[in-house]
Amino acid sequence: MSASTRNGPARISFQVPGGELKFAEGDLDVWAEHLVWCYRMLDVANGSTIAVQDFGTSPVSYLGSSLLMPTLAAGVAERIDGRLICLDASVERVVITPNAIRQVDPDVLVVRADVLGLLLDCMKRAGVDLSPVKGPTLIAVVGAEQITLPPGKWRRLLHIESSLLLAPECARCGCFHLRENFYAPANGRFENLLMGTATLTPARLEPVDHRCTCSPGDLLVKLRNPDPQATA
Amino acid sequence: MTDAVFEPLQSGRTFDEIETWSLQALRDWQLDRIRAVVGNAVTANDFYREHWRRAGRNPRELSDWSDFTALPVIAKPDLIAAGVDWSPRRGRVAFSTRGTSGEPLVVWLDSEESESFITPTMRGFWWAGLRPGETALMMSPAWHRLAAMEGHAALRLGGNAAYFWGSGGPQFGESFLQALAHIKPEFVTTTAPFLVSLVRDCADQEIDARELLASVHSIISVGLPLTPSLREYLSDQTGADVFERSGTQEGAAADECEQHSSPHVHGDVCHIEVLDADDQPAGEGRRGRLVVTKLQTFGDPVIRYDTGDIAELFEAPCRCGRALPRLKICGRPESSVVVSGQPITAYDVRLAVDEDSELVGRLVLLVGDREGPGNVLTVAIEGEPKHADEIAARLHERLGVTNVQFKWLGGARMAWGFRQVIDKSEV
Repeated sequence: MSASTRNGPARISFQVPGGELKFAEGDLDVWAEHLVWCYRMLDVANGSTIAVQDFGTSPVSYLGSSLLMPTLAAGVAERIDGRLICLDASVERVVITPNAIRQVDPDVLVVRADVLGLLLDCMKRAGVDLSPVKGPTLIAVVGAEQITLPPGKWRRLLHIESSLLLAPECARCGCFHLRENFYAPANGRFENLLMGTATLTPARLEPVDHRCTCSPGDLLVKLRNPDPQATA
Repeated sequence: MTDAVFEPLQSGRTFDEIETWSLQALRDWQLDRIRAVVGNAVTANDFYREHWRRAGRNPRELSDWSDFTALPVIAKPDLIAAGVDWSPRRGRVAFSTRGTSGEPLVVWLDSEESESFITPTMRGFWWAGLRPGETALMMSPAWHRLAAMEGHAALRLGGNAAYFWGSGGPQFGESFLQALAHIKPEFVTTTAPFLVSLVRDCADQEIDARELLASVHSIISVGLPLTPSLREYLSDQTGADVFERSGTQEGAAADECEQHSSPHVHGDVCHIEVLDADDQPAGEGRRGRLVVTKLQTFGDPVIRYDTGDIAELFEAPCRCGRALPRLKICGRPESSVVVSGQPITAYDVRLAVDEDSELVGRLVLLVGDREGPGNVLTVAIEGEPKHADEIAARLHERLGVTNVQFKWLGGARMAWGFRQVIDKSEV
């Protein structure tokens, strides 16, 4: 499934699980602003230094700065007047993260959920403290799969690659916010309104039938628990 | 400054003016830049100012190259220890070295410095044949500062940038192949281990890699030095021209021309030295320590910095006609073993193995001993034993190694990676 915005010929494309995302001039800035919106809901402050442990081909990484991506006029770092270190999510890179974290001393650590266990092991062995008092704001990037987060004050950022769905978990209502004018319901699932073609998200997103005063126009979802009776 | 034009360059391959400069013109230009860089560092950088003061150097009046080479060489631990005295974090984006030799060094990149490194990347891509309208399939932009330049370079050359999902590990080979089939790019940049793994996986599955890569005319390989035989093997297996690109997070940048005789240093952004143990030039084509000086007055200064890499520098003109020196990065101490007091890099051994057309492409690892160096070179090679005597003879002739032991790994299939030395307990 291929998805793109409508701003002219695509110059940049990302192959993602389940499809392809294409971007023309100006498109990436829309998504960088959206990622900043997500981060604000996750209490990331202006001026923050953000360490991202995700694949470089994840928007959580490549929207991080205009230095990383052509046609991106201002990434997250520029928009919040902050800084960024991308650490990649390969095993080889995760094991060196503790030392990099010691040097960089980030305010925010954003970690792809499926490398979280490995990273925490490495941190513990290296004696790097992630406690709420001394350590950074912790954000786990989760997909639609069920995942148990480790102890600690982890916030969650929902990321569905194929539909470029980025939705922050709200501290007030406990739901993921699908931003108004970015996403809309479609046949029991959710459509990315900006990507031109319908990009449908997995059925594991359960709509929640109320609005949150934090951002009343947003749709709210929770991750539906897997049906124990369902076949694989 | 006068620029002497050398032999006419192949038409269509010249990107910009610096390629027509003589070596003397380049050095004169670089000395001017170095004066500015050093002058800026004396004024604005606490670490360098103090470091030179303690060394008894006053670099404010840099009159010639000897004044520059009198400045002390620094290494990674110096910069890590200096912290904000060296890098006050004015840059937006940080990159980390791999930390293969201990703690990684974090380097910060700002927009001015990023802009200055895009031009040499464009130059390298141009040499490798990327042209307007073509699509480059690339690796993640975030793992290396040089990779971060690639998307910018591709678009500024009028091309398009495509990325496959995942990272550089062999488990993402399938993702890469899917991207290849869908996008049909003309140009690919990837790491050497990934490329070799791809070719091997195709062979194992009896898939014709040339058919898969039919749209691709050029592949840029980064991350591990290619032996000439391995480069030819990869070109043959893929049907594409394979170019080696090299560089470091601290600012060294080099790309191969169409002659494939080691990457040309992009002398507009970095000055490269290869030094012996006494901090003297190692000599034309002789092995030594890679020392880099960035030529920008913005960003964190890197001046006479020993990257930890083992390299060879060639100032003799290339057959292409360009006078830009050529640099071959051969490895690091952690990709080497010491045998009878002599360091042997994995690249040295691969040179000897890869010459055999029946062995090229096999994984070759050096076997070290944590308890201490010995007097036997132990080499682990994938597959069944083959031509061991001939390999040993080449190692003896070229490196003076007399005791060579082979560990043939038989059917054990190991993924190509950046790691090139294993401990004997692992074999």
